[in-house]
Amino acid sequence: MQHTTGMTTLLHNFSSLVMQTGPRQTFCTSGAMMEIRKLARMKIVDNSRIGREAAVAGRPPRVIHVYKKNSVGYLGDKIMVTVRGQKKRAYIVGCKQFQAPNVPKFDSNNIVLIEDNGQPTGTRIKVPVPSVLRKKKDGEFTKLLSLATRFKGPLWTSE
Amino acid sequence: MANKCSMLLVRASNCVHNYIHRETLTNPSFISCYQQKRGRRRTCKPPSWFVRRSPTTWDKDLTPENKEFLHGLVEDECKVPVCSPLRDEPWPRGEWTRSTRRTGVLAIKLSTIPQWTKDGRKVYTTLLQVLDNHVIRYTPPEDFRKTAGWKPYWGQKFGSVVVGALSCDPRKFSKEYNHLFMESGVPPKRKLTRFIVTPDAAIEPGTPLTAMHFRVGDYVDCQAKTIGHGFQGVVKRWGMKGMPASHGVTKSHRKMGGTGGGGDKGGIWKGKKMPGHMGMDWSILKGLKIVRVNTKFNILYVVSTSVPGPTNCYVRVYDTVLPNRIRATKEPPPMPTCYPEDISDELPEELFHEDLFRFTEPSISYAEEES
Amino acid sequence: MATARTFCLKCSLHLFKKGPNVGSIGTNVFMRQSNTLSPRLVDVHRHSKLLDENQTQDKADEILEVPRDFRFVHPEFMPPSLWYRRDKLTEYLERRDMYRRRSVMEIPEFYVGSIMAVTLADEYSPKKNSRFVGICIERRESGLRANFRLRNVVNGQGVEILYEMYNPLLQKIEVLKLEKRLDDQLLYLRDAPYEYSTFSFDLAPVPLPKASSVPVNTLKVKLNPRPWLQRWERAGLQGVEEFEVSEKQRIKAEKATTPWEKYDLMKKYRSGINEYDRGDIIQEFYKQTELNKPKTLKKKPLKQV
Repeated sequence: MQHTTGMTTLLHNFSSLVMQTGPRQTFCTSGAMMEIRKLARMKIVDNSRIGREAAVAGRPPRVIHVYKKNSVGYLGDKIMVTVRGQKKRAYIVGCKQFQAPNVPKFDSNNIVLIEDNGQPTGTRIKVPVPSVLRKKKDGEFTKLLSLATRFKGPLWTSE
Repeated sequence: MANKCSMLLVRASNCVHNYIHRETLTNPSFISCYQQKRGRRRTCKPPSWFVRRSPTTWDKDLTPENKEFLHGLVEDECKVPVCSPLRDEPWPRGEWTRSTRRTGVLAIKLSTIPQWTKDGRKVYTTLLQVLDNHVIRYTPPEDFRKTAGWKPYWGQKFGSVVVGALSCDPRKFSKEYNHLFMESGVPPKRKLTRFIVTPDAAIEPGTPLTAMHFRVGDYVDCQAKTIGHGFQGVVKRWGMKGMPASHGVTKSHRKMGGTGGGGDKGGIWKGKKMPGHMGMDWSILKGLKIVRVNTKFNILYVVSTSVPGPTNCYVRVYDTVLPNRIRATKEPPPMPTCYPEDISDELPEELFHEDLFRFTEPSISYAEEES
Repeated sequence: MATARTFCLKCSLHLFKKGPNVGSIGTNVFMRQSNTLSPRLVDVHRHSKLLDENQTQDKADEILEVPRDFRFVHPEFMPPSLWYRRDKLTEYLERRDMYRRRSVMEIPEFYVGSIMAVTLADEYSPKKNSRFVGICIERRESGLRANFRLRNVVNGQGVEILYEMYNPLLQKIEVLKLEKRLDDQLLYLRDAPYEYSTFSFDLAPVPLPKASSVPVNTLKVKLNPRPWLQRWERAGLQGVEEFEVSEKQRIKAEKATTPWEKYDLMKKYRSGINEYDRGDIIQEFYKQTELNKPKTLKKKPLKQV
């Protein structure tokens, strides 16, 4: 009986992998530090069409490059992801790994897609964004943060 | 006067009274050339020219009354030295220049606690207590050059100052060791150390050194012996990777790989990283900022998490040698040290750096933007 | 029976391997610090009669009657228990800083499981401060390093923030609902449905009836199906509903348990502060925090825990 229950749990998990659109994934291949490196799976949190399609298909975007020398992405860093067979640039707006005091830590690794000209792909950010990101005075980044206008505690939201 | 002091100490140490000439003890000039000390790098054996510390005889036949008398004598007489050289005319004070090297202090490392700056940044500070420090001896450059501990690369312009920490009962030590404190008129110290100084920073023996030797905002260097780990392999000592746990690896999971190539340059090169004794070695951390000073307990708050050594180890603290930090000092430090008569007003218990948050202040808040 | 026998065998093996090792940690550390003084010797020199000025601490004269479990109210006043890193003078100076901060900003009594609101000076928000509401899921460290972690769900996204209790950027700490849970850590809320960690930012403070003890919330949380962030079957959780465990996981969890540790008196002794030190510290901070509290900050009588 025990073996069969284990098998059913596995099947259940597998089916949830296909259907799940949330942050949880069944298999975790990234390290215990939950670092954002190459091939880490992310969650698109803007309302862009491509992000929605990827979520429905159950194929979350994967990091294929981090625009940094040490190839580890942190809050506010620019990365390149692959979504639905396309290369897209994105900014990290929420991290799952341990954060410094007073900096919010999220349950998933969130990204917001941007176009090649620096304009954000979506028009809204569905989840809160930490206010610490405003410290970054990058031209592309301020455009992205202008999507989140309302604030709730140390977090900024579109809703 | 020195004779009197030596009489007292010798009596206190319950040794046979045997007067030794002061010059012989304080200036070991009978050793006229540089002595090399060879052997193991980390050795517990002191250099051959050090005097013996531990006493050879002890008072097993003393009556309790005599023991009590000696105990009282140590406490009363040693605390207020009869023949301190400070009662004579004070030495002239030098002027500070950028090439001046002042003496340092011998502190005890306590522990590490966080503090915050006024812009909300957290800094970890290590607490160093300057406990019971006195200057024991000053040797001018011309004499210092002839002493046994002199190194040729120091040049000829430096003298030396011996600083001692933690006063003890003279009966604890040997006669020869007690004689070292004759000149300064202080009780024998548990630990001695030597600092290289320029002649303009000469200090009179017997001068007490406190935490006020440094000012808030100064940069210091901390030298201490690191935590000892004993004989260790290459994985722990040098961070080598070892070899895999399986896949046919036998008996070499934590061994090093190759030691060198063959051919002309073959063989093991000097300095190859290998197993050996780890830690318990002298290490210096330079350019640490003092952000807070407790004048009651003589504690320096130094911005660092990694002052070498474990808790309660001895740390040599002296003015930094980093040229940029020396250039940054605007006002000259107290020369040669801060005497009690230099402090005119009543000294506050705690001195803070201007950027450091004081816990009595209200919380930090940012001014609201007007838009 | 078989399992019991294996446990016994494992127990004896463990004691043979690790039992004496625990004892020898101290001696090893002491042996390798040959350039150091023992803590006792440092204390002797601090109070030595040969010193110019006796450096003595301000000692409490009268002994007050402290409620029995007062030390659990503010656990951050107890120093870490590693004897070879302790120094009484530093601990005293550190506590003095803590009293000073407490005289400026009130740090209330709270426990893991309490719902709290923290106001922080925030340079990047329009009002220059931000208020975050959440459930306290973890409380760690002691002294000036003391910190706690709040968790909430905002717009369908789980958010956690770590706050340092003595950080001068903190403007205000409020306890909206004072209660305890069945566990010391609520980190398993990360693997639970969001409804268990969702709290409104407009939650009004829930007052406690006068002279009542802190209530214990016996809520049982239903965890999500696997995978989890940690192997919760090994944590011995109380506040969690029963979950499915496979045979292999059950056996491994059983092997990982250490039932003999509750009989290890030396370990228990070393993991805490000894009674004499503890009594002095409790006396000191009871006086400082409770009796010297300004009247504006004093609001309710001390509760028995």
